Amino acid sequence: MRRKYMRSKAKREQSTPDIGSSIKETTIEKNLNKTVQIFQSLYSFPKNKDVTIRHFHIPALQKDAALLHISTITSAETIDTDILKPLMTINEAAQQIDDLITVPSTSKENKVKTICKKINEGSAAIFIDGEEEAILINVAKFEGRSVEQPQNENVVKGPKEAFNELAQTNISLVRKKIKSESLVAESFTISKRSKNELYVLYISDLVDDKLLANVKKRVQSLNTDSIQNLGILEQYIEERRYSIFPSTLYTERPDRAASFLEDGYIVLVMDNDPACLVLPATFWSFFHSSEDHYLRFMYGNFIRLLRLIALFISVFISAIYVAITNFHSEMIPGDLLLAIIATRDKVPFPGLVEVLLMELSFELIREAGLRVPTPIGPTIGIVGALILGQAAVQANIVSPIVVIAVALSGLSSFAIGDLSMNFAIRLMKFLFIFAAGLVGIFGITALFTVGFFYLVSIKSFGVPYFSPLAPSYQSSGDTIFRRTLQNELFRPGYVKPKDITKR
Amino acid sequence: MKRLTRVIVFLLCIVLLAGCWDQKQVEKHAYVFAIGLDKGEENDPIEVTYIIVNPDYGSQQQGGGANEPAFETITFPANDIISAKDTANVIVAKEITYDIARLVSVSEDFAKEPDFIRWMYDLTKDPEIRRDLQLLVTKEKTSDFLKNNKPVLETRPHEYYKQALERGKETSMIPFSDLLTFFRITETGEDLYLSMYGTLEKTPTTNESTDNFKAGELKASGISGQAQFAGSAVFMQGKMIGTLTAEETRLAYLLNNTLNPQGMVMTFQDPKHEKYKVAGRVSLDSPAKVKLSIRDNKSPKINVHIPLNIKIFTNHSMVNYTKDYSKKEILKKSIEKELEQKMNTLVEKTKQEYKAQPFGWSLTARKKFSTIPEFNSYNWLKKYPDAEVSISVNVRLGQFGRQSEVPKMKELRK
Repeated sequence: MRRKYMRSKAKREQSTPDIGSSIKETTIEKNLNKTVQIFQSLYSFPKNKDVTIRHFHIPALQKDAALLHISTITSAETIDTDILKPLMTINEAAQQIDDLITVPSTSKENKVKTICKKINEGSAAIFIDGEEEAILINVAKFEGRSVEQPQNENVVKGPKEAFNELAQTNISLVRKKIKSESLVAESFTISKRSKNELYVLYISDLVDDKLLANVKKRVQSLNTDSIQNLGILEQYIEERRYSIFPSTLYTERPDRAASFLEDGYIVLVMDNDPACLVLPATFWSFFHSSEDHYLRFMYGNFIRLLRLIALFISVFISAIYVAITNFHSEMIPGDLLLAIIATRDKVPFPGLVEVLLMELSFELIREAGLRVPTPIGPTIGIVGALILGQAAVQANIVSPIVVIAVALSGLSSFAIGDLSMNFAIRLMKFLFIFAAGLVGIFGITALFTVGFFYLVSIKSFGVPYFSPLAPSYQSSGDTIFRRTLQNELFRPGYVKPKDITKR
Repeated sequence: MKRLTRVIVFLLCIVLLAGCWDQKQVEKHAYVFAIGLDKGEENDPIEVTYIIVNPDYGSQQQGGGANEPAFETITFPANDIISAKDTANVIVAKEITYDIARLVSVSEDFAKEPDFIRWMYDLTKDPEIRRDLQLLVTKEKTSDFLKNNKPVLETRPHEYYKQALERGKETSMIPFSDLLTFFRITETGEDLYLSMYGTLEKTPTTNESTDNFKAGELKASGISGQAQFAGSAVFMQGKMIGTLTAEETRLAYLLNNTLNPQGMVMTFQDPKHEKYKVAGRVSLDSPAKVKLSIRDNKSPKINVHIPLNIKIFTNHSMVNYTKDYSKKEILKKSIEKELEQKMNTLVEKTKQEYKAQPFGWSLTARKKFSTIPEFNSYNWLKKYPDAEVSISVNVRLGQFGRQSEVPKMKELRK
């Protein structure tokens, strides 16, 4: 079925060539009018309202010329003062246009296709009568946000600026942190129709060439019309699409991106995404937060410990409750057991259903709370806390201990800041609840063992998911806990940096 | 797709074949806290008593449950404690489980039966029964004991028994007696096993020593329906053969080189004043050192050294023990002598009366033989009554209370 569809798609691609593709392959001509006509037809000129063509005379060259740009993505001020004004007012004879206009850089192109691409990226093109080349001047001015505070990865101590939707700003933020000539921002066009630009950032004397080649190969071999942002790109380049564990790290913090770059990782930046992708990603990169290193040794490790506990609580506590109330009542202290029985006595559902009901409600509150329009947001909180917490217990639908367990697991899941890992944990939680409901603690341990086998076996861009813990690699041992900065001597060995020592 | 189907079918098979056969909802069970065993009447082998706890008691849950009692007690004849679970359902609504059972209580009468041990081994059969269950011997019928013991303050039975027995063990008034030790000692057949002893019957007696009483013998008033736990029931090869008083139990603790009791408060004769006694907190510096020598298959020579640390709390004779070194030495010697004498009496009692000892010395004796058959052919049990036991107590006096000095009587009443 799928194969058939693919074959027919391939046929379609062959039979219907791109509109205007024959014109695009040509070069421009000396005749100004003809050239302008070509571009008018390409840009559907009078219909397309923000495409502007300005005809004028250059006295210094004694020639007619036309300027084409898309007004919504270019700076009118620059075009006016730095291009049109000098060209139209300077009367002294000059040989070149470059001598007249006052912008930092210009370039010359003769291929229609390339000229189109540049115009679409925010350049202004000047066509001059009798010239076989167009002069392209970058006057791009895309609308976007300014640099704001991070929305998802908050810290108390440390930088508080986040990436925004402009790749230029994002790269600038990274360069602000790594002032080095070896920081490379290579760009690739990764989609066919929308021509989305991807910037691959790496430190050339650190990054492993094989890894870099692998990443480049993957982003260049994408065969699709449009990749709007990193969330989409992530799904195109990852190895295991059905895995519940993420294999790329999505972070909105330039300081995190910079620290990963300095360790020999690769960072992907795109327009239209207020974050970056860090490759390769290990389990630890999702577990850590940038604040772990900004805080002093003891404090940083304390929050690491908290997070580890939170991780286990959020995955296991509901499952353990189900296991105990169904299979292992002898495992817990008598008093606790009696307390559980007392609360379960009037609940009509079995433990598994009770927990699932509450977990589902919590997920609903969470999802609805995200999507709800801001003005009625607080209402959701009241509905969630009061109706589900208090009333459900009073109505004997669920027992208060389940509310405690679910609330605790929900709360703990927030300690893992990364969205993807957060989802992974929430999904795992349900798997564990089912396993516990079927065969108790045995099910939990069996699933944990199998899950752990899987975790250790998977790789992200050739890097084992649990490295440097298993398999062991030379590294600064930044896994569950971190060392003092003075003892963090090595870059992570699993990304195979060209220079392993940090000093 | 095909692979996924295969995996799902495989997982389904696991679930369907394995099933949830061990699954049980907690609230669908009646939880027995204590199992009581009595000799049955006429044709019934035993009489079983259950204390079933009421989880609703004392909980804050809305909608009833507040006026229910903390527990219910039922007694009925049965063949064994395992079939008794089903028999109980004639009276009790929910399925009986021993999951939180912590106490096995047997009556003295039943424990003295030669066949008693046959029913005890039922306890090893049910997986729900844990080996750390406490074994309690009651003077009267256990069913009466469990039914009528209604403590006023700790109304929840599991809380009451747990605390009472824990505390009894801390003060060493009752021995540490769990099922595991019972079976271990019974199966070696060489030592005496001490079990906790309790009763509701009051038979006050006066003794020369303050601690020399058993359960029921303490003259206490003002408490209604509350049991006394003191002293121990002595078991030999799975059959009860006698009792020890609270004081003897304490001494047995001290003599045992496998135990390390801390913090029992004992009273000793004041050497300076016949009328008064001093109270002191006794703790072991290290467990008793037992040296045992066996020559030519004769009875063993046993040397027991007990290093004690005693903090004296009372000083009714108002003698200045704190400052006066010689008086302190006299007190020390007097305590050592008193303890040695009492211990020797106890050892003599075990030799004469029981012909075995509860001090775990057979374990030390085993080390003297290279193989178990050698030890068996030595026949420890036969040799023990003729053993030469010498006990030396070494007392180190600690501080004399928070305020160590007391005024002189002469100065006080000028």
